[in-house]
Amino acid sequence: MVTGAARGIGRAIAEKMAATGPLTVIGVDLAPELALAEQLTPVQVDLTSPDGPDTVRRAVEASGMPLIGLVNNAGITRDSRLVNMTDESFRAVLEVNLGAAFRLCTELAPLMSDGASIVNIASRAYLGNFGQYNYSMSKGGLVGLTRALALSLAPGVRVNAVAPGLISSEMSMAIPEEVRDKMVSAIPLERMGTPDEVANLVWFLLTPLSGYITGEVIVVGGGRSLS
Amino acid sequence: MIHWAPEVSDDWGEVLAALTRAFEASRAAAQAGDSIVYVVHNDDLLGRRGAGKAMLATGLLSAARTAALEGIRDGWTVNVLAVSEGTDPETAVDWASHLVESSDVTGELLRIGPDHIGKALP
Repeated sequence: MVTGAARGIGRAIAEKMAATGPLTVIGVDLAPELALAEQLTPVQVDLTSPDGPDTVRRAVEASGMPLIGLVNNAGITRDSRLVNMTDESFRAVLEVNLGAAFRLCTELAPLMSDGASIVNIASRAYLGNFGQYNYSMSKGGLVGLTRALALSLAPGVRVNAVAPGLISSEMSMAIPEEVRDKMVSAIPLERMGTPDEVANLVWFLLTPLSGYITGEVIVVGGGRSLS
Repeated sequence: MIHWAPEVSDDWGEVLAALTRAFEASRAAAQAGDSIVYVVHNDDLLGRRGAGKAMLATGLLSAARTAALEGIRDGWTVNVLAVSEGTDPETAVDWASHLVESSDVTGELLRIGPDHIGKALP
């Protein structure tokens, strides 16, 4: 199960899962592009709506398969400096990026089989990023959620977080080019990452290859956290 | 402005309300040019007391790091103080007051007590 599966990192994760083997990959998103991903079982739903998580749970049960992986990837940005941030943009980002992930984990954890894995897609912004008080708070909260669930769901279910840095996606392409170039110049590997590079790590964390890893946050950022 | 994280349950509505109160207080402080300290619980930074408290504590820590970046130009600071189960409240107030009055330290997490030694860095 992958949320935010219509585009970008979520799409790359879902497609990698679908290519891996005999799995049913349920893609969850509000965007209509979700239907274009042929390998996915699409569930078009607003995860922040009161019945959003229940709709997803019913889709999992209808698949007739045990739930072995959940990737909470859905996310939005509404950037501005703290002094100018509106109540609406604060609430919208927290509801989608953190509230939906928490409510979905709560709804689906009872359906997860022994050996299952949850991966929360946080962001390198959990370490702080100018103009993103709401986004940073939501992704930091996701890190806390990861740690709490890693403790409460052990030993049956592992829970980890991936924190992407600047990744080539619709979200990063919305950044003005001169700003994006400046950001890239601060990355030791001198480029943006790709959605596939994030998907590779998520795939590892979902499989038994990472069977002794839980409660961790792994940054995919080209070394930006050091520079 | 010293903001103490309240005790919350694992109810999303409670967590969101607590995060919203912190945001509103912080925005007002930043607009006034006042420095900010969030006070959280050490255990919550590692998720030891449940998901609700963990989301609140780590959400505030990350928000503090971002707000600290934004305050550099205007001269206000943002830091986080983490207390432990046995921390004397007066000790916590002393440290929080020291942090809120300091102009040299920003974006930092100060943890009272030894509980964090040998554990993950939040």
